[in-house]
Amino acid sequence: MNLSRKLSTLAGTLAVAGLAGLATSAHAAKDVVVAVQSTFTTTDPYDANDTLSQAVAKSFYQGLFGFDKDMKMVPVLAESYTASKDGLVYTVKLKSGIKFHDGTPFNAEAVKVTFERAINPDNKLKRYNLYKNIAKIEAVDPTTVRFTLKEPFSPFINTLAHPSGVIISPAALAQYGSKGIAQHPVGTGPFKFVEWKATDYIKVAKFDGYWRKGYPKIDSITWRPVVDNNTRAAVMQTNEAHFAFPMPPEALQTLSKKPSLEVSVAPSIIHRYISMNTRQKPFDNPKVREAINYAINKEALVKVAFAGYAVPAEGALPQGVEYAAKLGPWPYDPAKARALLKEAGYPNGFESILWSAYTYTTAQKVIQFVQQQLAQVGIKVQVQALEAGQRVERVESAQDPATAPVRMYYVGWSSSTGEADWAMRPLLASESFPPKLFNTAYYKSEAVDSDIAKALVTTDKAEKARLYTDAQKQIWKDAPWAFLVTERLLSVRARNLAGFYVIPDGSFNFDEVDLKAEQ
Amino acid sequence: MAVYLFKRLLGLLPTLLIVAMLVFGFVHLLPGDPARLAAGVDADAETVELVRRDLGLDRPLPQQFVRFFGHALQGDFGRSIRTKRPVSAEIADRFGPTLGLTVAAMAWSVALGLVLGIVSAVWRNRWPDRVGMTLAVSGISFPSFALGMVLMQIFSVQLGWLPTVGADSWRHYILPSLTLGAAVAAVMARFTRSSFIDTLKEDYVRTARAKGLGEPVVVIKHGLRNALIPVVTMMGLQFGYLLGGSILVEVVFNWPGMGRLLVDAVEMRDYPVIQALVLLFSLEFIVINLVVDLLYAVINPTIRFK
Repeated sequence: MNLSRKLSTLAGTLAVAGLAGLATSAHAAKDVVVAVQSTFTTTDPYDANDTLSQAVAKSFYQGLFGFDKDMKMVPVLAESYTASKDGLVYTVKLKSGIKFHDGTPFNAEAVKVTFERAINPDNKLKRYNLYKNIAKIEAVDPTTVRFTLKEPFSPFINTLAHPSGVIISPAALAQYGSKGIAQHPVGTGPFKFVEWKATDYIKVAKFDGYWRKGYPKIDSITWRPVVDNNTRAAVMQTNEAHFAFPMPPEALQTLSKKPSLEVSVAPSIIHRYISMNTRQKPFDNPKVREAINYAINKEALVKVAFAGYAVPAEGALPQGVEYAAKLGPWPYDPAKARALLKEAGYPNGFESILWSAYTYTTAQKVIQFVQQQLAQVGIKVQVQALEAGQRVERVESAQDPATAPVRMYYVGWSSSTGEADWAMRPLLASESFPPKLFNTAYYKSEAVDSDIAKALVTTDKAEKARLYTDAQKQIWKDAPWAFLVTERLLSVRARNLAGFYVIPDGSFNFDEVDLKAEQ
Repeated sequence: MAVYLFKRLLGLLPTLLIVAMLVFGFVHLLPGDPARLAAGVDADAETVELVRRDLGLDRPLPQQFVRFFGHALQGDFGRSIRTKRPVSAEIADRFGPTLGLTVAAMAWSVALGLVLGIVSAVWRNRWPDRVGMTLAVSGISFPSFALGMVLMQIFSVQLGWLPTVGADSWRHYILPSLTLGAAVAAVMARFTRSSFIDTLKEDYVRTARAKGLGEPVVVIKHGLRNALIPVVTMMGLQFGYLLGGSILVEVVFNWPGMGRLLVDAVEMRDYPVIQALVLLFSLEFIVINLVVDLLYAVINPTIRFK
């Protein structure tokens, strides 16, 4: 008793001392430390496939377009754009007077060099598929770039806003080469690249020649991977970091008690669902798929597996994705599920398998909860969480749709371009069966296919909205998935840190980041 | 002695060759396509093929093996699939912190384990023995990640005395080495105790006592040296294990070591990194065994090498 009181007083004193330390140091140098979940794979966004590496690259790189903290598309290095009627030619007007970190001027030529690198298959970049539709790039004049596409593609500007679509200094590319640029990133961003210690951190420092006057307001950011959940919570408590994401729900209670910290919950476009292989019995019967949707209590799932930090799915696409339609949530009605199963010819249910694409705790909880819910209506599923290699082997590399072993498959998706095409086409168009993309339901609907294809070539926003809404209604009706939840994103920040946000796709926005002196 | 050493070092080569062949085979037997994994969730089939060619995984397997082996002989282990950095750089970055942590953990745990073991053996079945062995059993039973979290909660979060993550100064080494060494100290204590109890029953100990030597001399001079042989063997084994990097401790303390590298590599099917790490671990074990054998001769001069 006595000892614990002593300890807590001591801890209190130290916390105050720590804060005082932060406050004084803020006047001298404003150094922000951000604790993130995993190690970085590269600093080259064109060769990165993880959201995190691309988020960090935003410190030194910028694209022609980007996303603000609410995932609204905004021009960054671009001033404006016009699209031709046929959706084939996009003309982008650039801002002028911007310089790269190495002093090279930013202009149409730099844009041309950057994207010509991305669309050249010889460079073997992981983001090749995003840009391969570009036929040619022309520098019309120093502030005008014209992109000509091979096929009409209406979300093209979203592709440019994708965090990988950044402009690299042509001088640096020439100096270090396509491979070497990953060790020496040179962009137009608010921070210059300083150091990447593979095991420890990436450090970036204020770029004095940044084109937005008065920014950045801080001197440096250290991106530090802290892999363990509890440890990430601990470094926030010890003031060793100013921002940490993601946070496990278990840690929130302790963290929210600390007056120097603030926990925030942000909406996301991370969608969780169970795809059902519509080519295989019994999932070829729409009634069975509906029954499964009725059998799962989404509200309870949110509480059990996500500790309350998710919302039941409100449609085929998560709210927040451009052109998402609100259609649900799907009601929970086990009696109706049983009736539907009976109509479908399975009065006593059936047996099947449920795989999870992930092995972490939340995913384990989800599949166990779903297993229990399905058992209530007579469906017995065996659950198995697949390790990444197994997942690739059994699901993503299955060559023949007719014999693919996947049945029920718990997985998630977030549209990295923020709009409906990339949220639907890779998952639900019939051209996207594995191994090409990820239509693990092997869902094929003429109506959906044609809506998606038409929307791709339409630049008229109202028409696109109509087509996408129609497609979503069809998907919701056909239920190739059990629509589960949309996640919410938990992060924690020190109260003196401002302007640092987790955006709905799980990336970061820190255009306005500042470290305040008070407190 | 020199001839013996030379022979043993020569014997290294075939062993490593066999290990290299086995590990190459096993790694390629793992399910999962590294190109698909490296290309990531947004990639389509065409991009996966690009990545596959980039990684050299489109060549036939025997050709890949010859290439891997030829380059490995020249000290080139290729580039990591995950980060595209040279494998040698990836490992070199992490070898230091792992070695440092291993040495720190071994130093205190061997010293403490020896003392606890000797004390327990000398005062067998009396209270020092009971206390010592209670500590030892606790040390073995307490899972290292849990111990790490508790230590961090107390000394970093509550008291604020020590940093939580990183490996920059000696203060960073305290908590991880305590966590890592706890189990080793426990094993060493139990090993020393049983070895010592056997030794103290030997005739030469009785003779020494009969000569009228004082108990401390009997224990330290006649007992310790002879009891050390199995203890040194155990020490070598533990050292080898720790050098592989402790995954749990490295995760909890965010230690930039080799355990995490191996886990990341297996997860991403990073063939070149897995192969190089397994080869390195084998080499470490062989060298440690050799050192242990040489130590036998130092401890007991009656041992001769042939």
